[in-house]
Amino acid sequence: MTTSPSEAPAEAPAEEDTTEAASPLADLANEIAGSIAGTAEVNFETAKVRVDPDRWVEALTAARDEHGLLFFSWLSAVDWRNEVAVGDKLTSEVEERYELLAAVSDLTEGRLVIYSTNLDRDKPTIASLTAVYPGANWHEREAAEMFGIDFLGHPQLEKLYLPEGFLGNPLRKSFPLLSREVKPWPGMVDVEGMPGQADEEEPAAEDAEA
Amino acid sequence: MTVTDQDLVRHLSEAAVSIELQTPEMTLNIGPQHPSTHGVLRLVAQVDGERTHNVQPVIGYMHRGYEKLAEVRNYAQITTLINRIDWVSGYANEVPFIVATEKLMQLEVPERAQYIRLILTEMARISSHLVFMASYPLELGAATPLFFALRDRERVLDLLESVTGGRFHPNFNRIGGVKPNAGAGSTQRKVSQDLPKTFLGETKAAMDKVLESADEIEDLVAGNEIILARTKGIGVIPSDVAASFGLSGPNLRASGVNFDLRKVSDYLPYSKFEFNVPVGENGDCWDRWYLRLLEIRESARIIQQAVDSIPSGPLQAKVPKIFKVPKGEVYVRAENPKGEMGYYIVSDGGLGPYRVKIRSASFSNISILPWLLEGAIIPDIIAVMGSLDFVLGDVDR
Amino acid sequence: MMEFLSNFWVQLVIKLLIAALIVPLVGMVIGFAEMKLSAKMQSRVGPYFAGGRWGWAQLIADGVKFFQKEDLVPAEADRPVYKFAPVLVLVSAVAILVPIPFGPAVVGRDLDLGVFYVLAISTLSTIGVLMAGWSSANKYSLIGGLRAAGQLIAYELPLILAVVGAVIMAGTMSLTGIVNAQATWFSEHGWSLGMPFVLVQFVGFAVFMIASLAELARIPFDMPIAESELVMGYITEYSGFRFLFFFLAEFANMFSLSAIAATLFLGGYWAPGLSERMLNILGPGILFAKIGILVFIMIWFRWTFPRFREDQLQTIAWKWLVPISLANILATGVIKVIA
Repeated sequence: MTTSPSEAPAEAPAEEDTTEAASPLADLANEIAGSIAGTAEVNFETAKVRVDPDRWVEALTAARDEHGLLFFSWLSAVDWRNEVAVGDKLTSEVEERYELLAAVSDLTEGRLVIYSTNLDRDKPTIASLTAVYPGANWHEREAAEMFGIDFLGHPQLEKLYLPEGFLGNPLRKSFPLLSREVKPWPGMVDVEGMPGQADEEEPAAEDAEA
Repeated sequence: MTVTDQDLVRHLSEAAVSIELQTPEMTLNIGPQHPSTHGVLRLVAQVDGERTHNVQPVIGYMHRGYEKLAEVRNYAQITTLINRIDWVSGYANEVPFIVATEKLMQLEVPERAQYIRLILTEMARISSHLVFMASYPLELGAATPLFFALRDRERVLDLLESVTGGRFHPNFNRIGGVKPNAGAGSTQRKVSQDLPKTFLGETKAAMDKVLESADEIEDLVAGNEIILARTKGIGVIPSDVAASFGLSGPNLRASGVNFDLRKVSDYLPYSKFEFNVPVGENGDCWDRWYLRLLEIRESARIIQQAVDSIPSGPLQAKVPKIFKVPKGEVYVRAENPKGEMGYYIVSDGGLGPYRVKIRSASFSNISILPWLLEGAIIPDIIAVMGSLDFVLGDVDR
Repeated sequence: MMEFLSNFWVQLVIKLLIAALIVPLVGMVIGFAEMKLSAKMQSRVGPYFAGGRWGWAQLIADGVKFFQKEDLVPAEADRPVYKFAPVLVLVSAVAILVPIPFGPAVVGRDLDLGVFYVLAISTLSTIGVLMAGWSSANKYSLIGGLRAAGQLIAYELPLILAVVGAVIMAGTMSLTGIVNAQATWFSEHGWSLGMPFVLVQFVGFAVFMIASLAELARIPFDMPIAESELVMGYITEYSGFRFLFFFLAEFANMFSLSAIAATLFLGGYWAPGLSERMLNILGPGILFAKIGILVFIMIWFRWTFPRFREDQLQTIAWKWLVPISLANILATGVIKVIA
């Protein structure tokens, strides 16, 4: 995990070199990581700081108070599983866990930092952020019902999107999509060319252009 | 900083009852079927006379499960889904997702395609703000601006349709650029790969008309004393509260925060154009309305500058039909008409993503409603809700 | 023939027929005018297909449509009250037209207390609105009904006070007498020149027009209905012909209140230079023209302005209109005594 400020610019405008743009972000990420005993990485102009779950609230309080990241963007989770009910399996084995993500940003230069912490895969629990950022309220409710994460100290952890009595947590990788159970989606197979177009068909290249 | 401080002056209206009659409260459901809730939003309010408290929004009537659906589709197919998140500004939803995917693939998008994306995004912004211009006075009771704003919006939608084929769900972005031959199948790829010939000229003329209509709407609505009385000082959101709730876009800027993703972020070549970012002062409903009117003008000017300086070139980088996106995680956010829209993509190197998190603007915009509507009277609820300019597709995804 | 027509009973039957027909007719004409005028203001066309290119049969079609709908009464509604409310509103609209003179001899019944009677009857519709709001067993109707209670009662006062100035100037409460006073204002000086009271009672006229807009619950004072907030306010649960009653009653009330305003302030059926026999024939037309102008102004306001909030509405009534009309009465009285 290294910082990569010198990646090739995808569509950066002429006068702004990505190296310059990534550097304040990388500095900020490193500063934050240093102060909270976490690790920082900047990939594809996205800064991610990993912290321990015990220091979650502390880290985000410091983000708001010391580092000027006043804008609460979003909070969600990623369910890292090796066996999935829907979609493709992961290509390499991962440690099964929930990765909780919270993105906060400053309001002057637009430096956005994503805080990440790993939660236990069987009983994911963490302290709530509503006291630090009130906007986390609804995001945490959504994460709770979609992933089954328990947020301690949340004032109103009820269902947000799903109707009452809904069983299960939809965004978990173990939760199936009913329509995929019935039959696989034809859209997922290789696309055929239009009729009379066989010579123009691009080879179904497996690797993306780099 | 705490936001439970009820002494913040949010409302100027005081329907104070001088005789304190003890009356039981009534639970009123505003919505989900209601003329003013912009879709299927339900507010459960405890009403005492006209004054309400404990207003709880109930959402999820339009939840379509996009994040789950995205896990079984490949990247090009997801674009067809995400148009429909904020259906009023259809094109703008696709842009951050495509840019995020291109970042993961480290593709260089041709300049002409970026300019076209910018023009269409700004058109989507004008379209979305004109819908707001139409519907907000209607909620306050004035029925006439609706027709003027929607009539003028037809011009923009006609342009969008002429180049993308769709008024509301363009699905015009492709990985690496925009769709090469607008409006025809790929059998004609050798013949013409570009925009319709008249598009740029018509766009410029239409933008003049849009500027005129913005002036007309300002005359009709902005000087009206009743509208000023209904919106000034109502629904004041201080800037720190706005930022901590995650309010974005015109809602945040109306509270005095000068923050526009078009200026600080480089997902599209906005730095090549001169435009102002309107910033409000008080954070009341009037500021939010007026700001969007000013943004219409700024967008029209950006489009005129872009049309003048658009470079020639290919419309799409060379990308195979079926491709795999390399492993990585990326978050790209854009200044959508409703606010900040972003996509966090976790890719495992396959045909489709492992996880897509969609950060939609209206979701955070209306999370402030319980705080904002505490103690408001019913007409003010309608005025405040309308001024936040949300769309249920954006809230519920 | 003339004896037949001057038989009391024949005249009564004719008057009853006119009263029964005038509301649907007037309602349709004004409703059609509203549809077409609002369309013109909003760059639309309006009714187009019903009855040829002008769409004049639109409201006839609407009337028939309303009558053939199912008669729904909500299960929890208070049935007798629910059914009687629209009747009350419509009856008060018709009853106002009794003393209004359409010509020197063309009047339902010339009452000595014409002004008093008219203002008293127009209050009946308030009760009808409250009944509708309460009996519908619907929270939105209840809120609309309560708003109506506050608004309609608050604006009765400026309505009444505004006409007092005209009554003082004319010296009589009879509507025919007031029109005569306007027609013959300067005749004691040897000029056969009249003066519509609006020229000096412009304050009273303005207050009366504003208060009558509020009594009609039209935009900018349509909080009781408030379509974007309360779905339809107190009318929410009404459908079919009961809704038609409310719908027609609104237009009939527009007509009636404009008729009163035209009579009190604009000179009623009188136009300068016409003899009494001519006024008997042309009078109704002249009055309709004046009513038409006022109705046009009401329609114009409706499509131009948004609506006031309830507390702003009450502020206008109590803090502005009542003091202004009281000042108007004071000034009129003083000038009448002096001059």
